Amino acid sequence: MTRTMELDAVIIGSGAGGGTVAERLAPLAEAGARIAVLEEGHHFPLAYFTQREVEMMGLFRYGGGWPIKDGSITLAAGRGLGGSTLVYTGVTFRLPDAVCEKWGVPGLTPKDLAPRFERLEKDLSVIVPGDDMVNDNNRLFAEACETLGWEVKKIPLNLSGCEQEGFCNLGCATGAKQGAMAVQLPRAQKAGVVLVPNCRVEKIGRGKVSAKVSEPPPGTVPGPWEPGEVEISAKRIVCAAGSPATPGLLLAAGLEKELPALGRYFTLHPAMTLYGVMPHPIKNYQGFPKTYYTPRFSQTHHFYLETAFYYPFVSTKHLGLWGEDLARIMTRYANFMTVIALNHDPASEKNRIRLSRKGEVIMDYTIAKESVESLAHAQVAATRLFIAAGCREMVMPMAKKPVFTPADAGDKSLEEFISPKRFLPIKTPLSSAHPQGGCRMGAGPEDSVTDPWGKVHGREDLYVADASLFPQSSAVNPYLTVMALADRVGQKLVESADSWG
Amino acid sequence: MDISAPNRELRYLTGRKLAVFLAAADRIIPAFDSLPSGGTMTTAQVVDWALERMEPGLRKRFLALLTVMEIMGVAFGARPFSKNSAKARDRQLAWMESGPSLMRMGFFGLKNYACLGYYTREAVWKAIGYAGPARPDRQYPDTVIRALCRAEAEVAP
Ligand SMILES: Cc1cc2nc3c(=O)[nH]c(=O)nc-3n(C[C@H](O)[C@H](O)[C@H](O)COP(=O)(O)OP(=O)(O)OC[C@H]3O[C@@H](n4cnc5c(N)ncnc54)[C@H](O)[C@@H]3O)c2cc1C
Repeated sequence: MTRTMELDAVIIGSGAGGGTVAERLAPLAEAGARIAVLEEGHHFPLAYFTQREVEMMGLFRYGGGWPIKDGSITLAAGRGLGGSTLVYTGVTFRLPDAVCEKWGVPGLTPKDLAPRFERLEKDLSVIVPGDDMVNDNNRLFAEACETLGWEVKKIPLNLSGCEQEGFCNLGCATGAKQGAMAVQLPRAQKAGVVLVPNCRVEKIGRGKVSAKVSEPPPGTVPGPWEPGEVEISAKRIVCAAGSPATPGLLLAAGLEKELPALGRYFTLHPAMTLYGVMPHPIKNYQGFPKTYYTPRFSQTHHFYLETAFYYPFVSTKHLGLWGEDLARIMTRYANFMTVIALNHDPASEKNRIRLSRKGEVIMDYTIAKESVESLAHAQVAATRLFIAAGCREMVMPMAKKPVFTPADAGDKSLEEFISPKRFLPIKTPLSSAHPQGGCRMGAGPEDSVTDPWGKVHGREDLYVADASLFPQSSAVNPYLTVMALADRVGQKLVESADSWG
Repeated sequence: MDISAPNRELRYLTGRKLAVFLAAADRIIPAFDSLPSGGTMTTAQVVDWALERMEPGLRKRFLALLTVMEIMGVAFGARPFSKNSAKARDRQLAWMESGPSLMRMGFFGLKNYACLGYYTREAVWKAIGYAGPARPDRQYPDTVIRALCRAEAEVAP
C-alpha cells in the first residue's frame, strides 16, 4: 500500500548540494517546518568502511564504473548519505574568479561567493597540509615540478585529525574527512530535518514526489521510514541528486518542452590517471594521497595535473594494459608514481542527458577534439615530470608504445611519440568523478533551466541545488562550488519561506 | 589453467561461459614471475560474486559476450575460443580491444572483471607489494567475499 505524507520541503539527494541546503534550512526546521532529505543510497556507519575495493563497490553507483552512452568514459559517483562527499578526496578549490565571470550568471559574482567560500572552508576545517602530510609520491611530484620550472602548489584539504591511512576514496574509516555526512547533515538533523536513507525518488510532479523506500542492507544504519512506496506532497522540492540524476528527474517530469536547455551542456572533467615507475618502492598507498598540484597548464592546455593514488584494481583500469605488459607492470605497483590530469572540457549543447525508453538516465557525451589534444599534452607533461623524478618506465595510453623507458622516447620529440591520433574511444582509458551541468543557471528559460538562485524557470515549487547547476565546467575540482551554490539556494528558500503557502 | 571444482557454487559463470572466462582471464593476466595467471577458479569465484551484484541488464550482456566470443573463436584459431591456443586467444582479444565499439566495450568489461577477480586478492597484493588496508581486521557483513579474497574458500591446487 502506498503511504501518503505532507511535508513543507523535500530535498532529493544528500551530497555536497543536498547536505548544504539541509543545513541552511535548519532554522526553519527548528521553527517547526517539516523537512526531509531523501537519499537513495544507504546510511553507512564509519565501521562499514573496510578499505577494500571489492567490498566498498556499494558506495558507488554502478560499483564505480557508470559508463557514458558510448562507453568511452566511466563515471565514479557516490551513493549514500553524504553523496559523493563520502568518497571524495577532499581537495578544496574555490571557483576561480575568471571562471565565475565567464559563466556570466547574473548576480553570481566572485564578491557574492567569497564569503560563502570562507564560511564553508571554516566549517569544513580546510587546511593547507603541512610537510608531515607529504608522502613520497607527492614529494617527488613537487621536486620534479621545481626541476622543470613549473609552478607547484599545495592542495587545500578538508580534514580534521587525519591519520593519513590513504583510503579516502573508499570512505574515511576514521571520520577525519569533512563532508556532508560529517558536517552539514548532522547539524540539519539536530535541528529537526529528517534524513531518510534507502529512499529513491522515482518521480517528481507539481508539489509532489513519488519515492520508494527499500530495506537497509546488513551493516548499514536503518532509516526512519518503513520500506514501501511513499507519495509526498511538498510545498518546496529541492533536487540535489547530482548531475546527471537531477536533469534525469526533471526530464522525467516532462519539463524539456518549456526548458530546451534541460539536460544540455553536460561536462565531465574527463581525466586520465598516469603512471611512472620508480626504480625503488615509494608505497604511494601510504600517507595522504593528494597534497600537490601544478596549475602550469590550465591556461595554455586546459588541464590541471594533480598527484593521485589508486588501489590495485582501479589502477588496472587506468593503465589500459593487458597481457604481459599488465602482469609485469603491476608487479611494480609499490614503485608507481601516480598523477591525474583533469581536462576543463568545453560545455556543448550537444552533450546532454537523455532518458532511455525505460526511463534510465543516459549520458550522451562525445569528448571534444580539443579535450583529446589537451589530454595528449597532459601525457607529454607527465612523462617529463616522471623522467625528472627519476622514473625508469612510464605508461601513457596515447604513446606509440604504451609502456616505455626514457630512452624509447628520447630521440623523438615527445609530442610526436605521444599523439592524440592514437586516441581510440573505450580503448584509451578515460574516467570522471566530476559530472557537471544539465540544469544550468541563467537569466531566462531560452538557454538555462534555473534562475541564478536555483529556482526552476516558471516554477515556484521546484529548485535545483547541485553540480547540475554549473553552466560550464568549473575547471577546478567542483565540490566547494557545489556547496556555495547550494548555500545560495538555501538562502533564497529561507528568505522566501513566508510565501511557501 | 586451473578449472578445478569450486567450493562455492558458481551462479553465473557456469559451463562453457566459465571455460571462456577462464581462457580469457588467462591471457588478460598471464602468469608472471611467481604469480599465477588470472585464469583460475579463485578469480572466477570473486567475479561470480560481483556478477550477482551487477545491474541485471549489464550482467545479461556480459554473459552474452562470453557466448559470442566462444563462437567467434573459430575465426581466430579454427576452434571455439576456450579451446584455442594462447596465441589465437591473444589475436582475438587484441582484435576485440581495437575492433568495433561494441567489441571494445565487451573487452573493456571482460578485462575489468578479470582484474577485479585477481587484483583484489590478498595473495596477489602481497606479490605486487601492496600492503592492503590499514585496518585489515575490520569486519564486513558479507563474509563470503572476504573469504574469497583471502582465498580461504577455495585455493586452486
Ligand atoms: C571518488 C571521488 C573523488 C572526488 N574527489 C573530489 C575532490 O577531492 N574535490 C572535489 O572538489 N570534488 C571531488 N569529487 C566530486 C564531488 O564529490 C562532487 O562534485 C560533489 O559531491 C557533487 O555534489 P552533488 O550534490 O551535485 O552530488 P552528490 O554529492 O553526488 O550527491 C548526490 C546524491 O543524490 C543521490 N540520488 C541520486 N538520485 C537520487 C534519487 N532518484 N533519489 C534519491 N537520491 C538520489 C545520490 O545517491 C547521491 O548520494 C569527487 C568525486 C568522487 C566520486
